Amino acid sequence: MMSDESLLALVLALPFAGSLVVGFLPSNRHNLEAWLAGAIALAGLAIALALYPAVADGKAIRVAVEWLPTLGLDFTLRMDGFAWLFTVLVTGIGLLVVLYARYYMSPDDPVARFFAFLLGFMGAMLGIVLSGNLIQLVFFWELTSLSSFLLIGYWHHTAKARDGARMALTVTASGGLCLFVGVVIVGHIVGSYDLDRVLESGAAIRSHALYVPALVLILLGALTKSAQFPFHFWLPQAMAAPTPVSAYLHSATMVKAGVFLMVRLWPALGYTEAWFWIVGTAGLCTFVLGAYLAMFQQDLKGLLAYSTISHLGLITLLIGLDSPTGIVAAIFHMMNHATFKASLFMAAGIIDHETGTRDIRRLSGLLRLMPVTAGLAILAAASMAGVPLLNGFLSKEMFFAEAVAHHSSSAFDRVLPYLAALAAMFSVTYSLRFIHGAFFGPPPADLPRQPPPLPSWMAAPVALLVSACVLVGMFPAVTAGPFLDSAARGVLGAHIPTYSLAVWHGFNVPLLMSVVAMAGGALLYLALQRYLSSGIEGSPLLRRLDSQRIFDRIMIALTLRAGRIGLETAGTRRLQPQLRLILGVACAAALWPLLQLGMAAGPLAPSALDPALTLVWVVGAACAIAAAYQAKYHRFAALILTGGAGLVVCVTFAWLSAPDLALTQLLVEIVTTVLLLLGLRWLPKREEMVEADRHRTPRVLLRRAADLAIATVVGIGVAAIAYAVMTRPAPDSRASFFVERAYTEGGGTNVVNVILVDFRGFDTLGEIAVLGVVALTVYALLRRFRPAPDSIVSPEQQVRQNARAAAAGPRQPADALADSLLVPALVMRLLFPVIGMVAVYLFLRGHDLPGGGFVAGLTMSVAFILQYMAGGTRWVEARLIILPVRWIGVGLLLAALTGLGAWAFGYPFLTSHASHPTLPVVGKVPLASAILFDLGVFVLVVGATVLILIALAHQSIRTHRPTKPEPAPDHA
Amino acid sequence: MTGAADLPAWAALLTALLVLLGAGLALVGSIGLLRLEDFYQRVHAPTLGATLGAGSILIGSMVFFSVLQSRPVLHEILVGVFLTVTTPVTLILLVKATHHRDLDAEQPATKTEAGDDRPAG
Repeated sequence: MMSDESLLALVLALPFAGSLVVGFLPSNRHNLEAWLAGAIALAGLAIALALYPAVADGKAIRVAVEWLPTLGLDFTLRMDGFAWLFTVLVTGIGLLVVLYARYYMSPDDPVARFFAFLLGFMGAMLGIVLSGNLIQLVFFWELTSLSSFLLIGYWHHTAKARDGARMALTVTASGGLCLFVGVVIVGHIVGSYDLDRVLESGAAIRSHALYVPALVLILLGALTKSAQFPFHFWLPQAMAAPTPVSAYLHSATMVKAGVFLMVRLWPALGYTEAWFWIVGTAGLCTFVLGAYLAMFQQDLKGLLAYSTISHLGLITLLIGLDSPTGIVAAIFHMMNHATFKASLFMAAGIIDHETGTRDIRRLSGLLRLMPVTAGLAILAAASMAGVPLLNGFLSKEMFFAEAVAHHSSSAFDRVLPYLAALAAMFSVTYSLRFIHGAFFGPPPADLPRQPPPLPSWMAAPVALLVSACVLVGMFPAVTAGPFLDSAARGVLGAHIPTYSLAVWHGFNVPLLMSVVAMAGGALLYLALQRYLSSGIEGSPLLRRLDSQRIFDRIMIALTLRAGRIGLETAGTRRLQPQLRLILGVACAAALWPLLQLGMAAGPLAPSALDPALTLVWVVGAACAIAAAYQAKYHRFAALILTGGAGLVVCVTFAWLSAPDLALTQLLVEIVTTVLLLLGLRWLPKREEMVEADRHRTPRVLLRRAADLAIATVVGIGVAAIAYAVMTRPAPDSRASFFVERAYTEGGGTNVVNVILVDFRGFDTLGEIAVLGVVALTVYALLRRFRPAPDSIVSPEQQVRQNARAAAAGPRQPADALADSLLVPALVMRLLFPVIGMVAVYLFLRGHDLPGGGFVAGLTMSVAFILQYMAGGTRWVEARLIILPVRWIGVGLLLAALTGLGAWAFGYPFLTSHASHPTLPVVGKVPLASAILFDLGVFVLVVGATVLILIALAHQSIRTHRPTKPEPAPDHA
Repeated sequence: MTGAADLPAWAALLTALLVLLGAGLALVGSIGLLRLEDFYQRVHAPTLGATLGAGSILIGSMVFFSVLQSRPVLHEILVGVFLTVTTPVTLILLVKATHHRDLDAEQPATKTEAGDDRPAG
């Protein structure tokens, strides 16, 4: 038997693990995936039920694992009665939704993706309700927004799904961002993000100066998530999702996250005027507005969406009333709403699935065709309307009682009962409309499909949910009482108010309000018949106030227009202003402290000039200056001169006893020069000096002078800083530490390599990850890149060479190239294994002598570059299977797994082990586990370099497509 | 560098001679590169340094390190092999490029006349 704590962790871990597994299953195995998802939900539900004794009566389970102990952050799971209730809702309804989805999803849909996202969402939602730490809660919060985005956009081939998904993500993720900031402020006030600590510090938070900003930000998060006015518009758009998703995320669970959070944090943030006004007003507006709009929907799911908004508004309003009985009623209504609304969504889905439409105008008289579904839907809708003996009635009664009770003597309080009755009346009307529109009336005339005679298994989950509605409605104290009690204790602590869960409370004001709402709603439905049957989309009065259109307009203003203005004022497409800006800022940032504090050379005397090194440096400086001089009109010359300067740097490193650096510099210099040379061909052509002379206007001269000044200042500045640093005695840094321990602890005599793969292995891991990302980015950018029009034709030299070859005989132009490269290509090909061996040699000796994974990887990529140069892209790729993306992945995995391997032996991440075993023939060899890490570096460097190379090389293939008209050779 | 003083006189003399010979050849080649008139003449000059010059220096290096470490040091042979294999590649590419350029300069690319000038190898 597992302990409660590990069971709790299991509840959270199971859905994520299941999501991963399901995601990798073949996409068309409906049964397998549905069974797996169902089993996981069932297991979660079973564990939750087994945990009930541990959370009843206000107890709680806590699991804390150190996460970032230095920041005081633990990964904490915490389950009290309230969290338990939500866990049961999430897993239980999840189970039913999976069962429903098994029959709802079409055989053509890729369901692996669907169930993987659904399980991922289930895990994220459980993460929210079980978090014992606010930062962790926000993390899971954003995760639910993401999975909601993915699920709404599941049928991404329809524009509606894409737009709905984007809108939902925009609204809820912006809310999540606000929530994050709010949580950070609360953490700042309390001094801890731990939920228990925060709940204890209510008084301190409320009296703090930052209380109102924190409250507003947290509420922004909660209200956007729960689709409260004025952020309600995303929810109807989210109905583009498959119906199981609507039933699960957008009525039963995810939209409840907002009200869950408000209830959760109410003890810490509530009891204030600000809370009452913000939450109460938002809730009331949403309650009334949602119910009003729901009456006029023509789409069954749209009607349910607005009704969900309205019911969420009701819950929010109850929370906003700031009284313990209100909180209890809110919790109770969350339970009830989840059951009846999920079953209604499922019923709507069945209707859509069997008849092919959800439009109330086309549906009618389905009672005879699908009696089971109709019966269940009528019961659920009656519960939604608040008919006695169903669970919706009970929580609505509690709400009416709360609305009538005295809170403050404001106008808000006085109109509240009337508005509540009005909205309840609307809800009776839309419930009637749902039932009457779909199930009664003449037999349907123009259904896209004829429903099958027998009910499908899809009705089973609906039946279960509806029976829950009925049971809770008839025997509330027995069925829901204990759970509601423990949930209320979880939120309110020991001081829970007295409330009564009885069906009959005698004749009182709430009952009168119910009766008025019922009668009024029925009358209103009759009165609205003509308007509704006219088939108009949308509601009277508010049709023009389309919040979706407003949202779109705001988005366009924010992204398109603001973006354009920003680009026009501050942006540039040219490289030169960007570089100028970067250098200018860097220069200013360096100059500022220097002007403040002054700068002087250090006390050390510079060593004497060595004539040979000086000569080398003169050459290097000449190369650098000449490269800058030639850069504008002779790119090729500039590139070669830059290479010369790089070689001088390389020689300097070797001279100053840094062979590792020299080796790396040499290879980097070679590879970058070759890659740049390859890229050079795709730059647009420049007019020669003529152009320069023509444009020698004062403005141009001024700009050049400014550039020269920037270059000079930055260059001299860097030199001066370097001089000032180097004339000071080296601070007692970690260097000596590394030198002393390289062999004893890292098992290698090459300190540089030991630092890279062992002492600073984590940095290296990050660096190679960046390298991989850069390579992928270059590849992605070049994949769709088309060269400038004037460089799209073959180079002049090539054209003439081909022309000459064509004139010489019947041979193909390609042979001309092959002929002229015959000997070089042969040599380059033969060098491939030789260079490969050099790479292996450099790699193997890396731990003790200059070399290592990075240098070896570069060497190996030089071998590949040579093959591309010798044979051309097609030749190489017909003979060598090169999968650079896989190389990058393997390298990264290898490095990370080596690091993880240390855990298996009980050491921290990336601890390396070194030994010097004696092999039979080779003798004693140095062998450190770091060599595996280094192998990862090697593989990744090869992959990244070759990927960039391929991206460049494929340009030449692409431009020489036969479809592209080549200019006749004579005109070239 | 290290322990150069321990070298016996004959080896020191031999090494110095070989290195100086190599350096001299390279110098002559460089002067040639500077002084000779057209590309086809100039392209030959640096080969002095790349072949015989480099060879002398490498042999000098072999003598120096073999005597110093009292064992045959033969790494330089590899250097020699790679130099021999790779230098012609550069040479061939350069000469081909120049040849094509000159063809273009002489006969502005008309199909008919260009034929017989195709490079033979």
